[in-house]
Amino acid sequence: MLVTLGAGIYGIYFGKFEIDKQNERIAFVKDYEREKFDSLLVWARLDTTITENKEKYEQAVSPQGVGYTLHFAYCIANQPAPTAGLCLGQRDLYPSYYRITMTDLSRQMNTGELANPMKLLTGNFDLSYVFVFLFPLLIIALFYNLYAGEKEGGTLSLLQSQSVPLRSILLSKALMRMLVVFGLAFLLLVLGFVLQGITLGDNSGLLFQWLVVVFGYCLVWMILMGAIVALRRSSALSAMLGFGLWLIFTLITPTLINLFVLANEPLPNRTTMIHELREESGKNWDNPKSYVLNQFYQEKPEFNDGDSIDFYKWYYASFAVLDLKAKDMKAGFEQQVNKRNTLLEKWMWLAPAAIVHNGLSKLSNTDSDSQKDFMREVEKNHTELKNIYYTRIFAKEQFSIQDLENIERRL
Amino acid sequence: MLKLLIKKEFLTALRDIRLQVSGTVLLILMLTAVLVGRQGQKQIHEEREKAQSAMYDKWVNQGAKHPHSAAHYGQFAFKPKPVLSFLDIGLDNYTGISVFLEAHKQNEILFSAAQDSNGMTRFGEMTAALILQVLLPLLIIFLTFNIFSKEREEGTLRLIHAQGLSMRQLFMGKVWGTYLMVLLIFLPVILMAYLMLDQQSASMDPTVNTKFMLLAAGYSLYFLVFVLLCVLISAFARNSGISLIGLLGLWIISCIILPKATSNLADKVYPTPTQFEFTRTIKEKVRNGIDGHNPSDSRLASLREKVLKEYGVETIEELPVNWSGIAMQAGEEYTDQVYDHEFTKVENIFKEQNKISEWAGFINPYLAVRNLSMSLAGTDFYHHVAFARAAENYRRQFVKVMNKDMELNHKPGVAYGDYKVGEEMWTSIPAFKYDLPDPISILSNQWRSIAALSLWLIGLFFLSSAYAAKIPKL
Repeated sequence: MLVTLGAGIYGIYFGKFEIDKQNERIAFVKDYEREKFDSLLVWARLDTTITENKEKYEQAVSPQGVGYTLHFAYCIANQPAPTAGLCLGQRDLYPSYYRITMTDLSRQMNTGELANPMKLLTGNFDLSYVFVFLFPLLIIALFYNLYAGEKEGGTLSLLQSQSVPLRSILLSKALMRMLVVFGLAFLLLVLGFVLQGITLGDNSGLLFQWLVVVFGYCLVWMILMGAIVALRRSSALSAMLGFGLWLIFTLITPTLINLFVLANEPLPNRTTMIHELREESGKNWDNPKSYVLNQFYQEKPEFNDGDSIDFYKWYYASFAVLDLKAKDMKAGFEQQVNKRNTLLEKWMWLAPAAIVHNGLSKLSNTDSDSQKDFMREVEKNHTELKNIYYTRIFAKEQFSIQDLENIERRL
Repeated sequence: MLKLLIKKEFLTALRDIRLQVSGTVLLILMLTAVLVGRQGQKQIHEEREKAQSAMYDKWVNQGAKHPHSAAHYGQFAFKPKPVLSFLDIGLDNYTGISVFLEAHKQNEILFSAAQDSNGMTRFGEMTAALILQVLLPLLIIFLTFNIFSKEREEGTLRLIHAQGLSMRQLFMGKVWGTYLMVLLIFLPVILMAYLMLDQQSASMDPTVNTKFMLLAAGYSLYFLVFVLLCVLISAFARNSGISLIGLLGLWIISCIILPKATSNLADKVYPTPTQFEFTRTIKEKVRNGIDGHNPSDSRLASLREKVLKEYGVETIEELPVNWSGIAMQAGEEYTDQVYDHEFTKVENIFKEQNKISEWAGFINPYLAVRNLSMSLAGTDFYHHVAFARAAENYRRQFVKVMNKDMELNHKPGVAYGDYKVGEEMWTSIPAFKYDLPDPISILSNQWRSIAALSLWLIGLFFLSSAYAAKIPKL
């Protein structure tokens, strides 16, 4: 009991530590971005009759960038959801933000956050881990000797001599213990919400969902233990049976499923995508400018002004063309990945621990689907920003103050 | 006498239904893990081999172009799947598998399997390592938790003692008897795993036999440590129930809770730097010099002066060699220094973090055997870094050849687009090949884990010989 409580509190503390770190990182990059953009705004208002100002002004208002310097790099962050610190899920595998420029997105997404693979392997000691792995053990420890304890302690005959049937005595004992488990889970969850700074008032629905998942999972374990107790075997055997079930459901089935799926559905090779993109990029450079621009105008007729020689138009169109091609490649790749993940999901019912962990990650927006949503958001942002840039580039115009202010609002 | 005791313990264990059931389950699991795991390993290995040679073909057949364009076109390095990785998958799902090698830039090793999977992956994979490190100790617990208390409860312990057998002898008899039982399960499977090694990938690593033997030896040591620990605890436990709960508690703490806590602690003690800082520092240092007082323009200027002096000419146009080639290579070497500095810094932080879990092997033998096993299987961080180094050296090598060719053969006055080299040049760069670290370097890298296991063994033997006589007989 105390161990589980201690572990729970440590889990809350650790989850908070991790998520604070991520928040700090995002805030740091955002601040950096903010500062840079503010200076762009100042530069755009500079008096260009003074020669020293000219360079800065150019940098601020040229959508195509100056020399080798691009106009700006945007930070798009995956802000953690309220309970992300209670269930870190898959978040540690992915960058919590991307910094993107108006070049092709496909190659900018090939980046990661620095992480020690050893830490990724051992995983996070967060509250969800305590619920998924340690709570069943607590339940086993509380329930295994429900009947056998009385028998071995010699109090069974005493109970049997009571006027109340043994069954209801045991049942009330079980109910007591159930209350203890639920009480502890409730306490830890509320504590988790409070310590992570999640306002209970606004997130009571979320807390309720967490409670449903956690209580449901505990209930399953209590029913299993009830069935074992009903066999009326010795406490050692009951404990071993319970522990065996725990082994099977938290350790053996998930790892077996992974083993089979990994061996039968190996991941497709993402490297081929990088290679094909480099080939495409080569073609963009080797062919006359019309090669790129014709493809681009077909996709984006609104920019078609018949120009097929301008360098910057060609330069930026070539990125758009790359992204277009990457989209098809990515679709094929993702199909394969999805096939594999569907296979994993198909067998997940054998591993209740995985289901619950997955459910909690979904509640906390830290599962791999949430990551995919975030990627889509990045893509959307990139496209929208690109439109602002391309409008000016293809009109061969500079950014107006209004443009910059429009962009600023998006930061 | 000891022999007789061992035989008795061994036979009792063999007849025990608990052992028969759990032993069979373990054997089946082990067989599945080895068979399926080997299949997967072979498949991944072949796929990466194929990808590696396909990408090298692309390099060779890239057509005639300027050597610097070729350096930008670049190559790929794929991490070979070590042959023993099917026994211990280690970090393989969490480390990247390939890296794009191009001019000017040391790229990250990308695309870990975990990033493309759903949450299931975090539960790990059923490998031989998981079974041997985590499940087999459980079997040992089930075999030993009542090894004394049962005899105590039945009164036979006093009887045996009265026959003139010392408690020490009895203790050692139980230890070796149980250990023999464990080996009876362990040895056949490990032998089978050995016979099933994928010969094609095994031929990539000439020291694979030594590594395999060391791996088997490491596990044998670990089991002995665990048997001693369990028998010792159960000898002094008041009754079987307490003994079982105590041992299971110990198992949960050392195999489930501590590993997570240790690596989380390590991240706190040695905080991981952020990617943002990392790339920014590299950019900064390339621009302004490693010490911050040597900006790229002035580096270039002093290089120009030096080269002009060397050839005894006044202007770049008079040089008999291609100035861009020289400048490019010098720039390359400068960024290499920056990369070395920054990458090593991060690697060292990770190494310090991992060292904490290696030191933790002294309080938790599970961690010791885990690190040792991963290392021998070729799936630990040390191997990842070794691969990254090899790939980076290869990159520097071929970029250098391209720059040198440009320096010597791209005559001044010829336009960039007019100087081209072809297949002969590309084939002069051999395909990327990476040799796995040898056993000695692995062992010296893992000395903490080895020392921890040995210390556990010696300490437990010492404890048991010191306290065996005091084992309660009633």
